[in-house]
Amino acid sequence: MTNALYRSLAGAACVAALLAAAPATAQDKTLTISWWGFNGEKLNQFIVQPFQEKCGCTLVFETGNNADRLNKIKIRGGEGVDVAYFTDGFSQIGIEEGLFQPIDRSKVPNLAGLYEMAQAPQGEYGPAYTIGRVGIVYDSAKVNPPITKWADLWRDDLKSAVSLPGITTTAGPMVVMIAGEKAGTDPFENADPAFAEIEAIKPNVVKNYNTGSEMINLFSTGEITVSLAQDFALGQLKAAVPTVEWANLEDGAIATLNTVNIPKGSKNVELAHEFINFILSPEVQQATAENGVDAPVVTSVQLTPEQAKQWTYGKEMIDGLKRVDYSKLNAAKSDWIDRWNEIFGM
Amino acid sequence: MLKRYTGWTLALPATLLVTLFLVLPVAATIATTFADAKGVLAPYLAFFASGFRRTVLWRTLEISLATTAISLVLGFLTAYVVARAPGRMKSVLIIAAVFPLLTGVVVRSFAWLIILGKNGILNNVLVGIGVTDEPFSMLYTQGSVIVAMVYLFTPLMILTLVGVLENIPEDVLQASASLGASPSATFRQVVFPLAVPGLIVGAVLVFTGSFTSYATPQLLGGERQMMMGTFLYQRAMVNFDWVGASTIAAIMVVITVAVVLAMTRIAKRLNPMTT
Amino acid sequence: MTTRPSPALIAIAALVYVFLVGPLVIVIGASLSDTTYLTFPPQGLSLRWFENIFEITAFRRTIVTSLQIAFLSTGLALLIGIPAAYALNRYRIQLPSWLSTVFVLPILVPEIVLGFSLLKSVAVGASFPIFVSLLIGHTLLVLPYCVRVISASLASFDFSIEEAAISLGSPPAKTFFTIVLPNVRAGVIAAFILAFITSINDVSTSLFLTGPGISTLPIQILAHVEQFFDPTIASVSVLLMFLTVAVMAIVERTLGLTFLAK
Repeated sequence: MTNALYRSLAGAACVAALLAAAPATAQDKTLTISWWGFNGEKLNQFIVQPFQEKCGCTLVFETGNNADRLNKIKIRGGEGVDVAYFTDGFSQIGIEEGLFQPIDRSKVPNLAGLYEMAQAPQGEYGPAYTIGRVGIVYDSAKVNPPITKWADLWRDDLKSAVSLPGITTTAGPMVVMIAGEKAGTDPFENADPAFAEIEAIKPNVVKNYNTGSEMINLFSTGEITVSLAQDFALGQLKAAVPTVEWANLEDGAIATLNTVNIPKGSKNVELAHEFINFILSPEVQQATAENGVDAPVVTSVQLTPEQAKQWTYGKEMIDGLKRVDYSKLNAAKSDWIDRWNEIFGM
Repeated sequence: MLKRYTGWTLALPATLLVTLFLVLPVAATIATTFADAKGVLAPYLAFFASGFRRTVLWRTLEISLATTAISLVLGFLTAYVVARAPGRMKSVLIIAAVFPLLTGVVVRSFAWLIILGKNGILNNVLVGIGVTDEPFSMLYTQGSVIVAMVYLFTPLMILTLVGVLENIPEDVLQASASLGASPSATFRQVVFPLAVPGLIVGAVLVFTGSFTSYATPQLLGGERQMMMGTFLYQRAMVNFDWVGASTIAAIMVVITVAVVLAMTRIAKRLNPMTT
Repeated sequence: MTTRPSPALIAIAALVYVFLVGPLVIVIGASLSDTTYLTFPPQGLSLRWFENIFEITAFRRTIVTSLQIAFLSTGLALLIGIPAAYALNRYRIQLPSWLSTVFVLPILVPEIVLGFSLLKSVAVGASFPIFVSLLIGHTLLVLPYCVRVISASLASFDFSIEEAAISLGSPPAKTFFTIVLPNVRAGVIAAFILAFITSINDVSTSLFLTGPGISTLPIQILAHVEQFFDPTIASVSVLLMFLTVAVMAIVERTLGLTFLAK
């Protein structure tokens, strides 16, 4: 009897200890930031610690993917976070849902040092803090002749060799845009020819991938030899399959911008503006670019060719990129998803 | 007087938790599907009108029923052996059975790539022993989704059944044998009916788990094998259409409840002690 | 438990275990590979991907949260689930037949709908703190395992033993702990294992119930694999396997639920 009593007391003590270790509530002068959460150490070193020292405040994070974080902000009515990081596709959705407030550009003087594309990509709302691109990657040992334009994806010699990004990923809808261009029509106006092209590419497709690691696994096990990818994946892809090359597309890769915005329910608007200005400063952008965190959007950042290799960098490259009109895309997306599902999912 | 309500007193905390924190919030979410301007049942009619959606629903039913049936058989036979294993061995077997559940879905799909892929182990063996010249394309088919799901749910079935099979008294089995029943007759008329409550619990858990499954179909089936779980996720997280997502959820709940009730009824017929 | 099953049956069980454990060999092998990408067989052996887990702050911080939630939710679910399972069997005449379905509802509802509804109605609507909402979500999630698995075990329990003990003067509560519970030991352990693992691995329910400063390990892993495609995910799985064995060993020792007694 005493044995059981002793054991249950021990158990109760454990429970009490567990509860006591539960996270404490936030203290005052806290800035809450919503972002993806990877690269924690580097971000801590180059952004979190320096900013906390500068402002004498504490940074707290809400992490996750674009969709769940945006959903949470929406359910909370625009409250709960002060600065929100999203890819441009998702920040456009946030804007359309009325979740963000316009940026007071007078409080962000560092905007002047940005590439024009990054300064006001979505009107009066948040600027872009990094830029990437979506292009074609292919295994040069198995694909001959090399890929030089988007239309090459439809080549007959690529039967069962391609993986397209799923329609739910960042790059997915871009495939529809590319298909529309191939058909010579504007897919936002009339998507029929674009989807006819997608039907035509179907025999080439093995599987549509949903995560970067899936795409790399498909390459490394030889299931595919061609895919679309974002540039940050190239380094890791080449480590797995050294013969993979980024296609030099004569019709240009597609730009992806990541933005920062201030939700309308933020309780620390001043501090939020300070933070945004901070991450757009040349010093921070130089540090994050040199250390493999994000490509810079500040024009004054100088990188050696070695450092620049992994990024979307340089005026020439950036000017040559295609832009996506997300307000049009978001309007068409629902219809596109349904049609894509019917082609691939039946 | 209190004795009459002992049952309710014991079951009350759990019932309250489910009612307050599940039934009410989810009902509130599903209620939004009835508020459509086009009519109370509009979203549901739209669902069943779409060929694609009907295909998704049907496919999900097929896959989850197949998964349940296969896991039931494999799980039952394995649990029978595990239940009769000596002490230490039994602990090891139970824990080993659970390891598949601990592999993250990404690394699991990689493992299946290695096994079932074009250059995978299985194809290399088949080509090596001359069964075929060209490697089979085994991935991203309904079959591969079922294999991956069975992999996930057989452990669940084994764990559910070990406890039940352990409790079948040894003397009952020996009595049956001593009365002249063959091993298969003992199995059919003694072991099986006694195991039915566990089989049903296992079947319910596996069916509902596979029917609502998201991560496994996503990575191992992809868009070609879209299921209700992946479709719901797409609607909610990509289209931001929570009314649509809730409609799908409501349909899923109705179907799973119907299947569960049907299974329970069959079970009660086989063994009236089933709860 | 002395009747040995037939050799055919043992062979089938062995094959099933090969099926279950086979892919794990690939996972373990991939976790030890000295490459920056997933590959099998491993090229070069290294423990660096295990070290990497602890170097990632996001993982370090959330392992603790995930363990807390897993233990607390499993404990809570067992606390309210065992009485419910007992009631369903012992007092079945008092209770309506649909009650057992109520305890299965959490797995009938798609997880993200559950998480979404809890966030909307409970965390935001009723202003519950985030940690509590997350805990409630997980407790609901694992409750079906705790109730139904144990209930199935109790279905084959002979309650006359219990009645005999009570008629001999043993108080009902004590009888429960000394007579009933030990006889459904395997069921309780199975329920504990299933519940704990479900909670530790859960993504879909937790997706909406995490918030500033509070996140779980599987969600961080998911975010990680969006950017990094290295073998860390494989090593995390292997780590979880070790963790499970450790947890089961501790459970066996402190709560005295040893298998050797049978």
